[in-house]
Amino acid sequence: MPIVETQNLSKIYGAGEVAVTALDHVSISVEAGEFVAIMGPSGCGKSTLLHLLGGLDSVSDGSVLIDGQNLAGMKDDDLTRLRRRKIGFIFQFFNLIPVLTAQENVALPITLDGVKPAEARARAAEWLTRLDMAERMHHRPDQLSGGQQQRVAIARALVADPDLILADEPTGNLDTRAGDEIAETLRQVSQQWGRAVVMVTHDPRIAAYADRIIFLKDGKVNDQTILAPRRNGDAATAAAPLQAPA
Amino acid sequence: MSVRNAFLGLLAQKPRHGYELRAAFEAIAGGGVNWDVKPAQVYATLDRLAEAGLVVCTSDLGEGDEPGRRVYALTEAGLAALRQWFDEGVEPEHQRDEFYIKLMVALASGAGDPHRILRTQRGLIYQRLHGLTTQRNALDARVALAQVLLLDKAIMHLEADLRWLEFVEARLGDIQRQPLPAPQVRARGRPKKGS
Repeated sequence: MPIVETQNLSKIYGAGEVAVTALDHVSISVEAGEFVAIMGPSGCGKSTLLHLLGGLDSVSDGSVLIDGQNLAGMKDDDLTRLRRRKIGFIFQFFNLIPVLTAQENVALPITLDGVKPAEARARAAEWLTRLDMAERMHHRPDQLSGGQQQRVAIARALVADPDLILADEPTGNLDTRAGDEIAETLRQVSQQWGRAVVMVTHDPRIAAYADRIIFLKDGKVNDQTILAPRRNGDAATAAAPLQAPA
Repeated sequence: MSVRNAFLGLLAQKPRHGYELRAAFEAIAGGGVNWDVKPAQVYATLDRLAEAGLVVCTSDLGEGDEPGRRVYALTEAGLAALRQWFDEGVEPEHQRDEFYIKLMVALASGAGDPHRILRTQRGLIYQRLHGLTTQRNALDARVALAQVLLLDKAIMHLEADLRWLEFVEARLGDIQRQPLPAPQVRARGRPKKGS
């Protein structure tokens, strides 16, 4: 079963003559552990799609299913809980809280969800260690480089053990080298830790790290390219060479 | 030219047998998978270099029962040719492009869908970019910097190709509204005498 799926998803901003269709009957699905990049020219609806996948905005028509649950029918409390436990978010500008240390930033979402502070700190430390940030756990964001801040944000996105990570231009504010490292880390998030990653990017170099690219144009799916065969799929695809079939 | 000049350089390092030269070339060229030279090409190249006086061939004695093998060494003229190569720039080649020709033929003939051709090409380049990125990231730049830099060059060129494809796709409508480059119409038959 896909971890996230959209069915004829549409989003229209405004109404009547000033209505703008941002997404026009988009149907996509992402399997557990898959790394998918969403690309397209600016204004193609890629950020809108990501926001709808994360339940951050309401759909106009069609549906978003996370792990088989339709977001549209959910009460606010249930939606909040699902967002906290099933989905991790990563943003272009990291969105860390400046007065908190790396470890406190990472522990925050699960603390808000009722995990005891000592346990939350331990889990935060564990993820920061996996992401090579053990030595900077007690640094505040302004004491960290952009790439390091994004690592903290990735740890924060993973700390609640979500199945799905949504990343909005995660390398958009980083130089080439740090961008490559973050893209490689996101690949690790999917390959090694089995989380589905959906990443919006305009950078071809970064998109090439994904298993599959979905191209949007004028709010519609214009094309898809498979870059790597499914690793956890059936034996035939798992045994296939790296280059995907044409 | 690259193979010929690389052979001169590798022989400047030390005299070598043909098969040794081939292995040394493939190692610096990014591996035999990336650039393989057939033994026949190695010996044909060496023969031409010998004819031009850029290398000389001698036979060694061979060890034990093995027959002697031909050993090649660089001459003074060979060294001068190598230095000349170092002194000149290498022409980049980006304007003879099979994909561009395919797109033009599709536009001119109407026999292929240019949008589909663009998408197919984009998909293929992304697959190659994924493969190269995976290869590059599997290498440790502290010990394999030469290979990393070769892969980086290929990656950067593919990035540029993708940006160009995006540019072409965005302007395909404009291209289709213009006349395609066509040959100049000339009078038929032989040119008139005296013209």
